Amino acid sequence: MTTRTPATRVSFAGVLAAEWTKLVGLRSTLWVALGTALAAASLAYGLSLFAGRGDGPTGVSLVVAGSVLAQTGALALGALVGAGEHSSGAATATFTAVPRRLPVLAAQAVVTGAGAGVTAAAALAASALATTDARTRAGLVLELADPETARMLAGFVLHLVGVALLGLGLGALLRRPGAVIVAGVILLVVVDQLLATNPGQVTDTLRAALPGAGARLLLDDAALAALDAASRGPRLGAWGGGLVLAGWAVGALAAGAGRLCRGDVTR
Amino acid sequence: MIEVEALVKRYGSTTAVDGLTFTARPGTVTGFLGPDGAGKSTTMRMIVGLERPTAGTATVDGRRYAELDAPLHSVGVMLDARSVHPGRTAFRHLLAQARTHGIPRSRVDEVIAMTGLEPVAHRRAGTYSLGMGQRLGIAGALLGDPGTLILDEPVNGLDPDGVLWVRRLVRDLAAEGRTVLLSSHLMHELALCADRVVIIGRGRLLADAPVHEIVERSGGTLEEAYLQLTAGAVQYRGRATTSPTTTTAGDAR
Ligand SMILES: Nc1ncnc2c1ncn2[C@@H]1O[C@H](COP(=O)(O)OP(=O)(O)OP(=O)(O)O)[C@@H](O)[C@H]1O
Ligand SMILES: [Mg+2]
Repeated sequence: MTTRTPATRVSFAGVLAAEWTKLVGLRSTLWVALGTALAAASLAYGLSLFAGRGDGPTGVSLVVAGSVLAQTGALALGALVGAGEHSSGAATATFTAVPRRLPVLAAQAVVTGAGAGVTAAAALAASALATTDARTRAGLVLELADPETARMLAGFVLHLVGVALLGLGLGALLRRPGAVIVAGVILLVVVDQLLATNPGQVTDTLRAALPGAGARLLLDDAALAALDAASRGPRLGAWGGGLVLAGWAVGALAAGAGRLCRGDVTR
Repeated sequence: MIEVEALVKRYGSTTAVDGLTFTARPGTVTGFLGPDGAGKSTTMRMIVGLERPTAGTATVDGRRYAELDAPLHSVGVMLDARSVHPGRTAFRHLLAQARTHGIPRSRVDEVIAMTGLEPVAHRRAGTYSLGMGQRLGIAGALLGDPGTLILDEPVNGLDPDGVLWVRRLVRDLAAEGRTVLLSSHLMHELALCADRVVIIGRGRLLADAPVHEIVERSGGTLEEAYLQLTAGAVQYRGRATTSPTTTTAGDAR
């Protein structure tokens, strides 16, 4: 210990760099990202085999069709960052370096959002490739300048980012990746499916308030209109659904922040 | 300098730390002793802000740990060897910690070299042996070149060479004017490297004195002194397999 290191201090930029180093330094996160893109593309490819000419799907709806599977990957990504911290024991090192704690969660939100965004873009590119044949066959064009198409592609990315942040918030709250996946799948899929079996004003309203409403971001205008016409609950449109998901993500992050700030960092 | 004052920590109905007060001074190696479950690790975790005290305060250089601008430069902590994600390499783990403070990458290489981890620095920590994990913990504690070190059972799992190295390291650190608080169950080791010992049992202070004073008072070794002092505070006691209490069937005969 002859050379004293120059004095430096904790900064948010530093915490951000640290969280990025942690994220890309884990094989599990890289595999989840890759698996998410591949799962999305495979599902899109599978569905594209049934695409025919006529009143079937549009080109872009084939490209975003993989989101049903991809959302689980985004959830897992958030869970790995938020809960993996605690379940692996790494939290001791993380929070002795940044004892104010909240900057860590904020930085995790930024890197998780970025990671999910990149994953979603990769999933879109892979899905576009995987559906090229089917789209050519059915004469479906992918017109990026078309506002509906642009909204659906952006919606696919935003939806996955929102689900990943929901996973991160639940991770900080529950601290076990398995628990986050279970809770997330219940919130995103199971409750919605149960309520769907019994349509009515109350159940339709509840369904509109579930985080799964975020999937509206990537529905085409016709599907949204059909959904809103059939629902006796509030008519959310595409962006309304996105806001509901954003509300859930913010709520989960706030709850996670609450536990992080008030409680002990113990296992 | 570490100052712990009237520190209390309760988990539901268990009181892990019960009104503990002591000071670890600069230039001194303070040994932190006590039976299993006495509250040593809990106290250390409270000093570095990982757990919230139920009552009382713990400060480093007069400030609460969470208020420090550069905690890694003030305090180096090694709490247990599992405070690293098993999927991350030692290098990445240390680099992430360094980045929070803007500590240069060269310092990461330096502590890896100091702890002898070079051959495995780019291997995932989940594949490390106990002693390698322990070395990584010590590397993390040295990263910020801190004025105070808190080491929870640092020699646990180290080979004889490593034990000797830690002994020299903590002596050198104290000689440089740093504060070292070190917990251990190895009395022989502590007798060699500690200046002072703080002994606790069931969360309460049992003794706080220079090693030579404690040894002189009991008239034996540090181990004998420790056993006398903690005799009433041992919570978990093993039994010999031939103990009469386990042979009730024999008694009935
Ligand atoms: N998170 C927790 N929840 C409940 N009880 C806890 C928790 N952490 C510690 N304890 C309890 O607090 C007491 C003190 O534990 P601690 O780990 O501080 O002991 P220790 O002195 O470090 O023991 P050892 O020498 O075995 O490491 C024990 O009774 C333990 O069971
Ligand atoms: Mg302990």
